[in-house]
Amino acid sequence: MPKVTIDGVEITTPGAMTILEAAKLAGIVIPHYCYHPGLSLVGQCRMCQVEAEKMPNLATACNTTVTEGMVVSTKSPKVEKARRAVLEFYLLNHPLDCPVCDRGGECPLQDYTLKYGPGESRSVEPKVQRAKHQVLGPHVIFDAERCILCTRCIRFCREVPQTGELGVFSRGDRSEISLFPGKILDNAYSGNVIDLCPVGALTSRQYRFQSRPWDLVRHTESVCPLCSAGCNVILDIRDRQGGDELLRIRPRENPEVNRWWMCDEGRFAIGALNDPARLRIFLAREGERQVELPLDDLLSRLAREIRHLVAAHGEGAVGCIVSARHTNEEFSLVRRFFLDILRTPHLDHRVRPAQWAEADASEDGILRRTDKTANSRGARDLGILPDRDGLDTTAMIAAAAAGRLKALFVFEEDLVGERGDLPVREALGRLELLVASSPVPTETTALAHAVLPALASAEKDGSFTNFQGRIQKVRRALPPIGACRSLPEILHGLAERLGWDLGDLEPERVWAAIGEQPGPYQGIGWKEWRAIGPQGALPAEIAGKAERAAAREPGSLGTKERMTNVQ
Amino acid sequence: MLFEKILTRYQDVPGYTGTIEAYIAHGGYQALPKVLGVRPPADVIEAVKRSGLRGRGGAGFPCGLKWSFIPKDSAEPTYLVVNGDESEPGTFKDRMLIEEEPHQILEGVILASYAIGCHQAFLYCRGEFVKGAQVLQRAIGEAYAKGYLGRNILGSGFDLEVVLHRGAGAYICGEETGLLESLEGKRGQPRPKPPFPAISGLYRCPTVVNNVETLSNIPHILLRGPEWYAGIGPAKSAGPRLFSVSGHVEKPGNYELPMSITLRQLIFEYAGGIRNGRRLKAVIPGGSSSPVLTEQHLDVTMDFDSLAAAGSMGGSGAVIVMDDTTCIVRVAEIVSRFYRHESCGQCTQCREGTAWLHKVLRRIEHGQGRKEDLDLLLDLCDNMKGKTICVFSDAAAMPIESYLKHFRDEFEQHVRERACPFGEWGGAF
Amino acid sequence: MIPEESRKRFDELVARYPERRSALIPLLHALQVEVGYLTPEAIEDLAGYLDLSAADLLSVASFYDMLNLEPVGKHLIYVCQNLTCSLLGAERLIRHLESRLGIRMGETTPDGRITLRRMECLAACGAGPAIQVDGLYHEQMTPQKLDALLDQLLCD
Repeated sequence: MPKVTIDGVEITTPGAMTILEAAKLAGIVIPHYCYHPGLSLVGQCRMCQVEAEKMPNLATACNTTVTEGMVVSTKSPKVEKARRAVLEFYLLNHPLDCPVCDRGGECPLQDYTLKYGPGESRSVEPKVQRAKHQVLGPHVIFDAERCILCTRCIRFCREVPQTGELGVFSRGDRSEISLFPGKILDNAYSGNVIDLCPVGALTSRQYRFQSRPWDLVRHTESVCPLCSAGCNVILDIRDRQGGDELLRIRPRENPEVNRWWMCDEGRFAIGALNDPARLRIFLAREGERQVELPLDDLLSRLAREIRHLVAAHGEGAVGCIVSARHTNEEFSLVRRFFLDILRTPHLDHRVRPAQWAEADASEDGILRRTDKTANSRGARDLGILPDRDGLDTTAMIAAAAAGRLKALFVFEEDLVGERGDLPVREALGRLELLVASSPVPTETTALAHAVLPALASAEKDGSFTNFQGRIQKVRRALPPIGACRSLPEILHGLAERLGWDLGDLEPERVWAAIGEQPGPYQGIGWKEWRAIGPQGALPAEIAGKAERAAAREPGSLGTKERMTNVQ
Repeated sequence: MLFEKILTRYQDVPGYTGTIEAYIAHGGYQALPKVLGVRPPADVIEAVKRSGLRGRGGAGFPCGLKWSFIPKDSAEPTYLVVNGDESEPGTFKDRMLIEEEPHQILEGVILASYAIGCHQAFLYCRGEFVKGAQVLQRAIGEAYAKGYLGRNILGSGFDLEVVLHRGAGAYICGEETGLLESLEGKRGQPRPKPPFPAISGLYRCPTVVNNVETLSNIPHILLRGPEWYAGIGPAKSAGPRLFSVSGHVEKPGNYELPMSITLRQLIFEYAGGIRNGRRLKAVIPGGSSSPVLTEQHLDVTMDFDSLAAAGSMGGSGAVIVMDDTTCIVRVAEIVSRFYRHESCGQCTQCREGTAWLHKVLRRIEHGQGRKEDLDLLLDLCDNMKGKTICVFSDAAAMPIESYLKHFRDEFEQHVRERACPFGEWGGAF
Repeated sequence: MIPEESRKRFDELVARYPERRSALIPLLHALQVEVGYLTPEAIEDLAGYLDLSAADLLSVASFYDMLNLEPVGKHLIYVCQNLTCSLLGAERLIRHLESRLGIRMGETTPDGRITLRRMECLAACGAGPAIQVDGLYHEQMTPQKLDALLDQLLCD
């Protein structure tokens, strides 16, 4: 447990550690570029040099281990001169692109230069010109003039997805990062290099020229909904006159879930939210067509139908398949509605093979998982499963095809599209009542008697339980579009018309109710979420090199609090 | 004055071919039977330590001490890597040893490997030494055939395999960890030290990297004794040294001399003095990485410590002599151009600094210098020293500082007159 | 694709080293001789053989001056431009070569015969100015000796 003093602050380190990590413990950020806790150490940018008593030369904090009694200064005149010099060397050939560079305003080169760098250039040599705006792949665009050769991007591609598309070619001041001719940067994690790049050399094609950081008014912390990994994210929202817009999704650091990374599919999924095909109104079947209907009217109509069907055929004539894309709070209310109010035992969330308990697995040995829904675990834990001898998904479809199931509620699953192996069309066609919710029209909604526009996860508050059993908050970043209402609201309205009170709809109160019941979530408060049950092990690749990533890194990728990767 | 030739005694053999027969005929491979399996390896290290032999590649680090850093009880294999990447401008002595006396090197390799417990040694030969690589390969073959390499050498129980490995043109692969990276099939980018190669070297195993000339001394030390060796030249810079003398001298070439010799003697008594009857203007005493000296320094003795005290360094022992037709600014430009070309590019100060230095010097030489450029250069040099992964950056900066120190008026003249006073060719060029 | 007999030689080279990757530069030398220069296909093939990404391999190859990533002429002339050779007239040799062949240093004659390249210290300072032609050193060069050399190379 070496004790080290950094800038007069005495720090007791829990074990072998570098100066940079020890400083982090005390909240001292030593400026750096090439260092990243999730990548191998190279110690080549030379930004993190500090002065250590008894060492004749400056030491790089990122790869110098602290020794007992070490006294370090990150602010001595020698350090300041060295740091200023490094910045001067970087700026020699750095293009004056700030006005057109996406990184501007959240740029560690700008920030460190302002704080530590020279105010004027001493160079009269023409700047070296290189190829700009090179499209590297579907998501990333590269400007070689801006590159500071920290090699984070190269190390990332080699060490995490292990695809090695990028390399530094040539030598000395002719060094340049590029792809092998003819190849593209298309691994499933390519977007992470955008976060890693300390300057505007690697930027997002999707986000290019979309905004300045100060125009992003909200940075909502949430969880990616696209698979059971539950990668932590930040949703960057820009306010616009016509309504707020989700412009960018970034990973949020979580040492136990996704470390510092996320996959491209989740990162670039803003299109789903803004998809022009999204349903914004409620639809009811009239003959061959589906027409818009106000929600109140639709709910009244549905309540009538349900009463009629249950009276004629019994409670077992109604079934519900609810997608594992819903939150735990929504599941709790769905179960209350179908099991307690409608008293039907036919309830399930499982549609795809990967959703069975043992079947969900790592898809690529990194982050992506085979279960492409966020909350199968929550669905399982909260009993979104057939009650007693109720029917599961496959059996419900068979029962519908045989005419035994008369009404089916399908919430956010395109059964027709997903289960081509089953007689879904036939089954759904025979139903007397098909209620389908979806964010966009699908083959399933086309067959429905009532179509409910579904909210995106960015439009609701609640929780998902990832494959590890970790309960994580989903936070609302944007208001619902069009006439969309949440599933709890719809079920509440329906229950009311059936003479029942579904209870509190507020996610926090719903959760409180969950916590009161026996089950895996019993006793867990809204503020105390923690991992429950066995934890899935992280693959080595995303675990990063060494376990030193525990501490947070405020401001390591630049600017103010809002850029910080916060838990 | 005549000094005994040790490393180059083969030059006195008429028609010497450098084959194993020729080497043995003039006394070679006699140390092997006296050492392998006879003297304990620790003994051999002790002897080399006592001899005072310092590395001949450029750093001058005590050889025996370096060998003693190898852990005695490592579970991993120990490697000996021979640095035959001679690339320091002005140096051409290793090439001579490789092409003309390869077996002396090999005998040193075998003895060194025995001392440190290495059973596979790598001979890294500079890529441009096409002939040298052929000679070495032939010599290795001869040594295997004679049983001096391979298993159970001379019945001693000691095994040694030697692999010849060619480089491909990069000065920085002469830096020991740059060499190791290159030998591992990567870019020759030096590694941060610590850890040092003795602990974590080739394939992260304990490794000693020794220069060709350094190893050539080993058979002699072991055959004739460390005390004899330590008595050659100054105490702290013992043993014969090969000085490569070139430039504006009558008789350029390699001269084997003790380091008690002075620079004046070397240039004027051995290398025939300045050619064409001209005057000495400047002299680089230890390869282009060493700070320049002038005629006021001629009486410095050519040992490591005296040269350091004079503000320069022993370096690779390469002496480049410049007469009074030489434009020093042009010299600085050429030297800085070399460092710019050879920087590996890892560290910011070196990658950008070597280029900036060259651009400024080129501008000054072409008559576009500004007054402020001179102090700018000095500040750049200061920012480049002591702050990088390896000392290449220092090697680029220190010479420029020395040119400015001793010849500042010449730089000022270029700036003032907006032209090189020596003409388009920089005079001598 | 690496032809079968080359593959055997490559396997032998690789077998000399405790780790495969060490054979990379020797293999690049061999490949260069075989293919003429290191084409993107050759580099990709070698990358596959050594289980490295193509970018990794190109990153290594592009670091070294003697590895040719562009086509080179039948004859490769390296001219040392470092200090001693410059002190002894290397730039004059360079001007002479450029004027005689009508190309600049770094270029290849249009007939593909000769490539000129500036190199750094060849360790021939004692007999400078020095050049290296197709691996062979030619020392104490003068424009006259250059002419004689070029005469040979050009009719070869």
